[in-house]
Amino acid sequence: MTGAYWRSVSFSSLQIEEWGGEFTVFQPNSGKTHFLNQMGLHILLCLDRAPTSEDEIFVFLTDQFQLTLDQNFSQQTIKTLHRFDELGLIEKVRPESLT
Amino acid sequence: MVYTQGHYKLLLDALTNPDCLIDYSIADWELLLRLARKVKLLGRLATELNKRDFLKKIPVRAANILRSSLIQAKRMQQLTHWELNRITWALQSMDIPVIALKGVAYSLVGLPESAGRTYVDLDIMVPKDVLVSVELELNQRGWVCQKLSAYDEHYYRVWSHEIPPLTHVEREIEVDVHHTITQPSSGIKVNSGLFFEAAVLAEGTSYKILSSVDMVLHCAVNLFQNNELAGDLRDLLDCHDLLVFFSEKEACFWENLIERANQFSLGRPLFYALHFSVLMFKTPVPDIVASNLNNKPSTIVLWVMSKLVPVALFPLHPDNPSKRDRVARTLLYLRSHWIRMPLYLLLPHLIYKSYLAVFPRKNSQS
Amino acid sequence: MTVGQVPFGKFIALLSDSGLRVRVGPFNIRINTKSVTLANHIYRLYESYKLAEDEFAEFHVQVIVVHPKRKIFSPHIRFFVDGHSPFPPFPQEQGLTALEWGINLVIAARVSHLLLFHSAAVERNGQVILFPAWPGSGKTTLCTALIYRGYRLFSDEFGLMDPDNGDFFPIPRLMPLKNESIQVIRDYLPEAILGHEIPKTLKGTIAHVRPPKESFMRSEETAKAKWIIFPKWVAGSSLSLEPLPDSEAFLLLASNSFNYEVLGEVGFQAVTHLIRTCSCYKLVYSDFDDVISAMNDLTD
Repeated sequence: MTGAYWRSVSFSSLQIEEWGGEFTVFQPNSGKTHFLNQMGLHILLCLDRAPTSEDEIFVFLTDQFQLTLDQNFSQQTIKTLHRFDELGLIEKVRPESLT
Repeated sequence: MVYTQGHYKLLLDALTNPDCLIDYSIADWELLLRLARKVKLLGRLATELNKRDFLKKIPVRAANILRSSLIQAKRMQQLTHWELNRITWALQSMDIPVIALKGVAYSLVGLPESAGRTYVDLDIMVPKDVLVSVELELNQRGWVCQKLSAYDEHYYRVWSHEIPPLTHVEREIEVDVHHTITQPSSGIKVNSGLFFEAAVLAEGTSYKILSSVDMVLHCAVNLFQNNELAGDLRDLLDCHDLLVFFSEKEACFWENLIERANQFSLGRPLFYALHFSVLMFKTPVPDIVASNLNNKPSTIVLWVMSKLVPVALFPLHPDNPSKRDRVARTLLYLRSHWIRMPLYLLLPHLIYKSYLAVFPRKNSQS
Repeated sequence: MTVGQVPFGKFIALLSDSGLRVRVGPFNIRINTKSVTLANHIYRLYESYKLAEDEFAEFHVQVIVVHPKRKIFSPHIRFFVDGHSPFPPFPQEQGLTALEWGINLVIAARVSHLLLFHSAAVERNGQVILFPAWPGSGKTTLCTALIYRGYRLFSDEFGLMDPDNGDFFPIPRLMPLKNESIQVIRDYLPEAILGHEIPKTLKGTIAHVRPPKESFMRSEETAKAKWIIFPKWVAGSSLSLEPLPDSEAFLLLASNSFNYEVLGEVGFQAVTHLIRTCSCYKLVYSDFDDVISAMNDLTD
């Protein structure tokens, strides 16, 4: 089991400004401004490259930020993914469309 | 005719012949913009002027108001489109048809004039048998019903054709979920299933909208069956825009429209929409349309309506509202309730509403 | 020509008939009222407002005294804009607050070609300091102290910014002091001209400061912002002026704007540019002399 696959939505339309390790992200589709930290932005960057499974996202993030992968981390990350889904920043990929 | 003079003319000329705006005086501009705001047509004027590159040539204060209202109109459009996006996302697992109605549908279908249209909420339609589960699903995803009095709640659920408006806790747009296009209490039974069957995908999107003729019928029904008409000039203009747009695009549009209106027994509201649209905006409607519609109003009824409707559609003069215009509004207000509901339902509704008007509830908008 | 230069008789006639047209920053406002009490207050406090006779007015406001048919109810005041009343009735004594709040509301609700911050703004040496509003900021009181000590008033309520070029527009108006601040200002600035005290408003007792004449004379001179300072008045505190991280300033400023989201991308870019070009601070103060000298050091 590798968990659901995710991909970013209209990533190229986002306007991103950096403020010393934090980011303001303007999403033209919704007109909302989101405040993200490094981790949040890396999730979007990762999902913009290709649809990625949750397991792959955990590994990518723990590598990037030199963290240990434990249950707490994966739960936190899944929570963030669902929040991003709700905001329309990312979406679940139907397994049949992956091939 | 009354609407060919005074403040009526000022507004109507601006809408039907924007080229004339270049000659408006400061005082004309001031009055025009106050009137246009009242009938939600500032954004419309702004796009017409933009198209002609007039915004730099008119008084700068007037141009700023128009720019402001265009920015606000764009924002409301963005909000409603995004709300539709999120509603679709929330309901995707239910696998049901969701039809976008009114303003957002006009822009999805590519109506050119929709660019400056002011939206206030998102209207969608779902089949009646899933209405309850849709409401439940949306509730779970963060859409909540604003606080309504028990009376309003009852009115919505039993006698109206909507569930109470829902708003997502993180956003401000109201979502009206319909299951048909007429009021159940009006006595006109329309088989809503036929609307779903005829619905089409908006080009280049995954959103469903009504077919062209159904969209026009909905616009007409909404104006002449569900509304009180007061200040609804914008909605008549919607009808006009749709008629012009579809009749240029589709070969058998008029024939299909007649057939559909007669099929649903909606000849009368359509007749009124065509009649007043031609009267005010000179819509190019072929004569065969009116003569082939069923359920047309009698000559006397049409005469009365022709006296009342035009003055009521226009906004009152902001400084000197005339008594005659107010009377026309009251009569049409009564009419709109009359045709929607049996009399025994009408009286308590009006009494309750006027009671509310005297003692506004604490939570009413301040 | 200013309001004070109009003979009182003509002034009353204008207010009760075709409307008094005054310039309020970049806008013209047409005011109508038949209330003689309110007319007297306006005549005194609006003395330096410029007239905008025969000019286009963006906003048309009316203050109406309603006399109930039954004698047991006392008359009340209603505020109208274009025939629509956005507020419930006010007690009769509160005509001036109804008018001032009503004008705030129409500006905040209708203007979208400019970015509107909920913020006080003053200018010194050609550059603007913004003092965004947040609970306990005491922005009006601070603003009053500064404008009587050499700063030019832009506004105690609105930071009006042109999103295209970052220019701020002055919009000098009466400044409502609340509750204890009234006495604080009377003590600190005996020379300040205040209107009558209006008790029991929604925000407590209000008295309006009449800004110095100079702010009105120069109300067409725009300027760019250089500092964004989030003030907090804390009784007995010594002065502190600490830099504020940019990301936090962005969040605070955007959420303190009336129409940031309405402007969409334009708003995002304008706030980004503003934060990038300004220095942002958190200010805690209790003493006016200290805060004025700190502001002078900053703006010298």
